[in-house]
Amino acid sequence: MIAVQEQDFSVQELYESLCVAHKTGAVAMFVGRVRDFSDDPAQSSFVLEHYPGMTEHNLEKIVSEAKRRWTLLDVIVVHRVGKLSVNDQIVFVGVSSAHRAEAFAACDFIMDYLKSRAAFWKKEITPEKEEWVEAKTSDEESLKRWK
Amino acid sequence: MANLKIVFFASLRETMKCDELEFAVDAALTVRQLKELLAEQLQQPLLLEEKIKAAIDFDFARDDDLINPERVREVAFFPPVTGG
Repeated sequence: MIAVQEQDFSVQELYESLCVAHKTGAVAMFVGRVRDFSDDPAQSSFVLEHYPGMTEHNLEKIVSEAKRRWTLLDVIVVHRVGKLSVNDQIVFVGVSSAHRAEAFAACDFIMDYLKSRAAFWKKEITPEKEEWVEAKTSDEESLKRWK
Repeated sequence: MANLKIVFFASLRETMKCDELEFAVDAALTVRQLKELLAEQLQQPLLLEEKIKAAIDFDFARDDDLINPERVREVAFFPPVTGG
């Protein structure tokens, strides 16, 4: 399942839906959250913009590639968009498989590619300014691990 | 002559003060050629900066990728992505 949505998500519910009775031996999950990025976290927020259609298409390609590389039982990616505040959840990636090595690797792979190959843009908003977040070269660099 | 839908996102959309536009092209052209035509017509040299990325019908595209106006519906320009 791939979802791009404004509303929050329940990790417990997503975890339960990843589990396949009698088959799941491992579930790896990653949750990205908003941390403090200013001196005034109570007044700070950010806005996540996406490209409807392309974002979902990018995520589907990334998940398909993960399923091609590893034997997986299920994959869930949920990414929030719109206005988010400090401590909010941003993204969930969950992978279930028979064994832990596949689940860990696929979860790591999907997050790495999501950072550099999915059409999302963050803008930080504080009382003083609004600023688009610059992409990190380290995110692009980390894709080399998977070549 | 065919009309391409051009869309802009994030900081590029704000700088250009434009979400989307229709652009008439009469023959296939590369992403780079389209950028140059748009930059000239809209007086926006920012489009030519190396960091600006492109997508053709939802797939990331390179400067030398060809846009066939008979088959392509939408071309997007945007800064590097920062999700997750």
